[in-house]
Amino acid sequence: MTEMTAAAPSTLAPPSRRWRLPGSPRELGLVGLIVVTCVVAAAIYPRSFATFANFSAVMRNLALDGILASGMMLLFVGGMFDLSVGATFSMVGVLTGWLMKVGGLPVPVAIAIGLAAGTLAGLVNGTIATKVRVNPLIGTLATMGIYRGVAVLIGGPGINFLPPSFSRLAQTSLFGIQAPFWLMLAVVAAFQYLLAHTRFFRQYYYIGNNAKAAQLSGINVQRLHLIGFGIMGFLAGLAGMTFAARIGTSVSIAGDGAELRVITAVILGGASLTGGRGSVVGSLIGVVFIALINNVLIVASVSSYWQSIIIGVVLVLAVAMDAIVGRRSLRPGNA
Amino acid sequence: MTSALLEVRNVQKRFPGVHALRGVSLDFRAGEVHALVGENGAGKSTLMHILAGVHQPDEADIFLGGHLVTITDEQAAQRLGVAIVYQERSLFDLLSVAENIFSGRQPVGRWDKIDRQRLLDDARRLLADLDVELDPRTPVGDLSPALQQMVEIAKALSLQPRLLILDEPTAALIEAEKTALFRVIERLRRSGLGIIYISHRLEEIFEIAQRVTVLRDGEIQGTFRIEDTSPAELVRRMVGRDLAATAAPTSVQGPVRLEVRHLSDPVSGTGAGPFRPLLADISFTLRRGEILAWAGLSGAGRTELALSLFGARPRGAGTILLDGEPRSIASPADAIAAGMGYLSEDRKELGLFLDMTVAENVAAAGLGRFGDWRLDDARRDGVAADFRRRLRIASPGVDAIVRGLSGGNQQKVALAKWLLIAPKVLIVDEPTRGVDVGAKAEMHALMRDLAREGTAVMVISSDLPEVLALGDRIAVMREGRVAAVLDRAQASEEGIMNHASRRDPAS
Repeated sequence: MTEMTAAAPSTLAPPSRRWRLPGSPRELGLVGLIVVTCVVAAAIYPRSFATFANFSAVMRNLALDGILASGMMLLFVGGMFDLSVGATFSMVGVLTGWLMKVGGLPVPVAIAIGLAAGTLAGLVNGTIATKVRVNPLIGTLATMGIYRGVAVLIGGPGINFLPPSFSRLAQTSLFGIQAPFWLMLAVVAAFQYLLAHTRFFRQYYYIGNNAKAAQLSGINVQRLHLIGFGIMGFLAGLAGMTFAARIGTSVSIAGDGAELRVITAVILGGASLTGGRGSVVGSLIGVVFIALINNVLIVASVSSYWQSIIIGVVLVLAVAMDAIVGRRSLRPGNA
Repeated sequence: MTSALLEVRNVQKRFPGVHALRGVSLDFRAGEVHALVGENGAGKSTLMHILAGVHQPDEADIFLGGHLVTITDEQAAQRLGVAIVYQERSLFDLLSVAENIFSGRQPVGRWDKIDRQRLLDDARRLLADLDVELDPRTPVGDLSPALQQMVEIAKALSLQPRLLILDEPTAALIEAEKTALFRVIERLRRSGLGIIYISHRLEEIFEIAQRVTVLRDGEIQGTFRIEDTSPAELVRRMVGRDLAATAAPTSVQGPVRLEVRHLSDPVSGTGAGPFRPLLADISFTLRRGEILAWAGLSGAGRTELALSLFGARPRGAGTILLDGEPRSIASPADAIAAGMGYLSEDRKELGLFLDMTVAENVAAAGLGRFGDWRLDDARRDGVAADFRRRLRIASPGVDAIVRGLSGGNQQKVALAKWLLIAPKVLIVDEPTRGVDVGAKAEMHALMRDLAREGTAVMVISSDLPEVLALGDRIAVMREGRVAAVLDRAQASEEGIMNHASRRDPAS
C-alpha cells in the first residue's frame, strides 16, 4: 500500500491492473451459482444427478442453445436481438430434411442450401430492422410467425427417417459426448475470439454503446447490423439441421421456445438490453445455467410444464436485478 | 415606483466547477416586459430555472407580492403563479392542441372521465384570448413552429400565472410570425402580467421590453430602463471587457486545404431537426495551419454545415475540394477516409461512448490503426496513454470508464479520438461548452498546436471571446448563409454580433 501511494501521488491513484479477474463479476457470479447448484443437486440426488450419463445428457441438450446464444450475444452487443431464432431453427431443420428426403439431393448439397436459407432468413430480419427501420421486436416477431408457418408448410408435422449419412454426422461421439456439443464448443470459441479480438467484430461494442457516435466515428452501423442478423440466421440454421441430424427426424416445431431460453441465457450471461455489453463465453455460461436448472427439474421429477415458467421467472429476476443496479449507478453523485 | 411582483435577493447557485449565480438581486413588475440578456453561460437559464422550481438556489430570498416564499419544485412554481415557456418544445406532436394545453390537467367529470366539451371550450377561450385562430382539435404536429409557440404560451397561460417567462421565443420564428408574437406579448403585458423575456437578439428587446437586465458570469451588470440604454451599451456590458482584440498568435499558413463551393441543402428536403433544409450557397476556403472560427446565432446553420461537410447530413448542390481534389463524401466513413474529423457539439450523445474506456474511445475512429484483423489492445492502450499524457486527461488510467470523468476531461477524450487519425481538416463544434476555465484554456492551446502542425481547423463557437481568441479569420453565419468573413484585424464582438443578427444589410 505504501509503495502504491509513493509511486502515484495523484489523488486519482489508478487501481492495480496487474491482477485481473478472468471474467466480469456477472459471469463469475453465475459460475458460482452453477457450482452451488451442482453441489446441492449432487448431494440430494447422488445416483441420478451426479453421473456421467446425466452430465453427457446435459451437454447434449445445451449444445444447440449454445450455438444460438453465440449469435444472439453478437446481436445484443450491437443493440439488436432476434425473436425468430427458434422459428429459423425449425424451418431450416425441416427444409434440409425435405431436400434430402423428398428432393433427393445429396446430403452436402442439402446442408449447404439449408445454411444459405438460414442466412437468408437472418438477412431478411436485418433488412426489416435496418433498411425499413422497423423495431426488431416487431420485425422478428412477424418473421417468427412466418418462418414457423413455412416450417409446417414444408414438413407438416415432420419428416422421418433422414438419411443415415446425415444422422451419423450428429450422432458420433467423442469422449462419450455427442458431436453437437463439440460443434457448439467450436462455434463459441470462434465467436468468443471474433467478438473479443477482431477489429471488425469489436465495432459491435461501439454500436451498442452509442450508435450515433459510432456512425460519426465512421462505423457503418446499418451494414454491421445486417451482417449480425445474417450470422444469427446462419447459426440458427446450423443448430436446426444439427438437431434434425441428431434425432434423425425434422420436427416442424423443434425450435419453438428456443428464443425464450436463448434470450434469457444471454441476459443472464451479461448482455444488456440496450447493447454494448457481454461476451460469448458469458452467454455460454447463461446457457449452462438454464440447462442445469432444466436438468435438476427433470432429475427431481418435476413436471416439464414447469420449465418454461421457471425460465420466465429467472429472466424477470435477471432483468429486475439489472434495472435495480442500473438505477443505483445512475443516482446523482455517481454521474 | 411600481411595487415588485416578484423580487429575488442575493441568489447564489453553484454547480460542480461553476459558480453560476453570484448574488443576483432583481425585481420583476406586473405589466412589464423585463428583458434578460447575457452571453451563453452568463446565468440567465439558471436564474429562470430557479424561478420555475427546476433548480434550488444555494442561497436566495424570493419575495412574491411582498411575501417570502420558497419555490421547492415545478408544481410549487405553478401554484405561486410562475409559468415558463422553454426554448425547447415540450409538446406532444400526435395529441391535439387542447390536449397539449391541458396535458395532465384535463377537466374531468364522473369517474375521472375527461370532459371533452369543456376541454375544447377552455382551449378555445384561451386561444381566443391570444387572438389565435386555431381549431383546438388539430394535432400539434401539423402546426407551424409559430403556432406551436402559441400553443406553448396558451399552455403556460392556462395555469393563470402572474409571471410568464419566455426563453428565446423567437428562435424558430420568421419575421411576420415574430410580429404576431409581439402583439400577443404586448396584450398580455397590458392585462397586467409580468413577463420575463430572454433573447439574444438585441433589436427585439428594444422593440418589446420596458426594462433590461444584463447578466455576465453570474453577476448583474446593471438593470436599465430601455430608453436609457442602447444596443452598444448592452453589448459592452454583456462582453464586459476592453474590446481591443486579443493579441493574435501568428500561425504559419500554407496552401488551400479545404475549399467549399456553393454548398446548399437539397431543395426538396422535408426533414426535421438538423435535417431541416437550411444551408444556401455556402462558399469558403480554409488553408493548412489556419483556424477559421464560425460565429452566428443558434440556429444559423453552423452545426448543419459541419454535419454536411462530414457526410452526416444529406447535401444538395455544391462541391467540396480537399487539397484541390473534388471529393464525394457521402458518409462519415468517407469523410474520415478523406482525412476529416468532426468533434461534435453534443459530446455525450454524438461523440463519446460513455460506458467504454478512455482507450476504447480514443481508438473509435481509427480502429484500423491497431490491426486489420486482430486488434492489438496493448498497442492501443499505449497510444491512448500517450494522448492521456499529452492532453493531460485526468483519469485513473486509460482503462477508466469515460462516464466517470469531468466534462473537460471527457471533451479531451473526444478530441483525442480525432487527433488519433491526424486529420487534414478538423471541425470542432462548441469545443468548450460546459467546460471549466482551466480545461478551456488547454483546449485553445491544443487547437493552436494542431494548426501549427498544419491541420486546417474550423471552430464553431457561440462564445465570442473564444471566436476572437482562436480564429485567424471569422466566418459569420446567418439563416443558413455566410453573412461575412472577417479578418481577425477587422473583427470585433460588436461587428460579429451585427452580422449575426442584422436583418437588413445596411450597417
